[in-house]
Amino acid sequence: MESTDRFVPVRDGTTIMAVVYDGGVMLGADSRTTEGSLVYNRVSDKIEPIHKRIFCLRSGNSSHTQKIAQLCRLYVSQLGSELEQAPPVYSAAKIIQSFIYNYKSFLSAAMICAGWDPVKGPQIYTVPLGGTLVREKIATGGSGSAYMSGFVDTHFKEGMTRKECRDFMIQSISLAMFRDSSSGGIIRLVDITKDGVSREYISHDQLPLKQPLSLIH
Amino acid sequence: QMCIRDRYQRRVHGDQGFVIKMAGSGYDYDVSTLSPEGKIYQVEYAMKATENSSTILGMVCKDGVLLGTEKLIVSEMMVSGSDRRVYSVTKQIGMVITGLLPDGRCLIDRAKEESASFQKQYGIPITGKVLADRIAQFMHMNTIYLWARPYGCNIIIASLDEGTGPALHLIDPSGQCFGYFGCAAGKGRQIARNEIEKLGSKNLTCKECAFHLAKILHKCHEEMKEKKFELEMSWICPESGMVHQMLPKDIQKELEARAQETLEKEAMADVQSQIMKNINICLLYTSD
Repeated sequence: MESTDRFVPVRDGTTIMAVVYDGGVMLGADSRTTEGSLVYNRVSDKIEPIHKRIFCLRSGNSSHTQKIAQLCRLYVSQLGSELEQAPPVYSAAKIIQSFIYNYKSFLSAAMICAGWDPVKGPQIYTVPLGGTLVREKIATGGSGSAYMSGFVDTHFKEGMTRKECRDFMIQSISLAMFRDSSSGGIIRLVDITKDGVSREYISHDQLPLKQPLSLIH
Repeated sequence: QMCIRDRYQRRVHGDQGFVIKMAGSGYDYDVSTLSPEGKIYQVEYAMKATENSSTILGMVCKDGVLLGTEKLIVSEMMVSGSDRRVYSVTKQIGMVITGLLPDGRCLIDRAKEESASFQKQYGIPITGKVLADRIAQFMHMNTIYLWARPYGCNIIIASLDEGTGPALHLIDPSGQCFGYFGCAAGKGRQIARNEIEKLGSKNLTCKECAFHLAKILHKCHEEMKEKKFELEMSWICPESGMVHQMLPKDIQKELEARAQETLEKEAMADVQSQIMKNINICLLYTSD
C-alpha cells in the first residue's frame, strides 16, 4: 500500500509502567517518540494529567493518544465540577475505554489510567488496543514492556515502600529501554499520593544500564 | 393612551381582559412575563397545584433514608397499587411525587434517562445531588419559555451514595432544589414539618423512624377522616439491603396499626386532660 510508505505515523514506541505501592501510585515512562526510524522527540512526556490526582500514560499512535487524553480531561473536569468532589479514577478510565472501544477500527492507542481518589485509594486501570478495561496493581505497556516482563514478574511485590517502588520502576524501564529500539531517552516518573503529585526525571547518566553489555570480552 | 401590553391584552382577550381582575391582574397570562412586584404568577399557580395535593414527606436517618406519601382512594373499583407515587430511579435513588401526577411521571422518566446516561458515560451510579440538580434544571427550563408551562409537582428525591451517605432533596415547580434532613410538601406540610423537626433531634434508625412517619401521615389526614386513604412508603437502609425498596406490606400494615393506636391514645389523653382541667375549674368554683 503506497500511502503507508509515504506517511509513517508518529508513534510512541514506548515503555510505560504504573505500580501501586503502599501510600500511592507511581507512573513511569521513557521519553522516545519515533516516526519510523527517526527519533522525533527524545524528551517527550508520555504522562498526561487528566485531573488533580488522575494521570494517564500513552502508548501507540501519538496523535490518537493525545486526542483521547484531551477529551478525557474535558469530560473528567465536567464530572468533577458536577460532583463537587474528586472524580473517581474509574470514570476517567471508563471515558478512555469508551473512545478506544467505539473507535477501535480507526485508532491505534493503548493507555494506562492511574490515580488516587478518596473512595478507593490508589488505582490503576489498563485499556489496551481492543478496548478492555482491567484494574490492576501493576500495569506495563508499549513495545518495551515485553523486554521487562521477566524482571517485573520476578521482582514485583504488593505494598512496596515508595523508595522500593521507585528503584524497581527505574530498573525495569532501563532494562526495556536497553533492549527496545523504540524506547529510550530519559525516564520520567510521576508519584501520586493523597497529599499531592510530584514529578521527576532520571537523566541518561543516572540510568543503571549505561554501557552496552558485551558478550565477548 | 394605552401601553403596548394593554393593547395586546385588549386585542387578544377582548374587554374581558380588563373586566376580570384576578390576582395576577394581567401579568399572569404566560410564564414568560414578570409582574411589577417581580413575581412570575404562572409559577406561583403551579405551586398552588401542589399545595392542595397529597402530602409527601422524607426523612434522613442514621443509617438510611425514608420516603412516604398518603394517597386518597379515588374509587373502590380501582385496583389497589396501580396509583403509584413512589418510584425507584436507580438502585439507590427513589423519588416521590405530588401535585399533577402525569407531570410527575414525566419527570420520573426523565430522571431514569439522566441516571442511565450518567452511568453509561462515567461508569459510576449518579449521586442524589447531581440528579436533583439536573431535574431541577429541567423543571426550571419550563419556566422560561413562552410555549411551555411549568411542571405542577413537588418532588422529593431520596438517595444513598457510597461517598456522601443518605441525602434528601426537595424540588418545587420553580426549579428550586435544596438538600434537607427532613422535608414535606402537599396539603399537610405544615403539620408534617413541625413533627419532622421534633423527630430530627432524636437521631433514629430507619426502622424506628418508619413508625413515626406513618404516624405523621395519619395525623396529616385527620382533617379528612371520612375519605379513605392508603400509605405508600419506601426506604433505603440496611433492612432493605441498602437498595431503594417499598416497605414490605406486612411491616407497613403493622406500623400503620401501631400508628393509629398511638394517635387514638394521644387523642384520648388530650380529651382526658381537658376533662381534668374542667373538673378542676368546677372544684375551684364549688369550694367556698
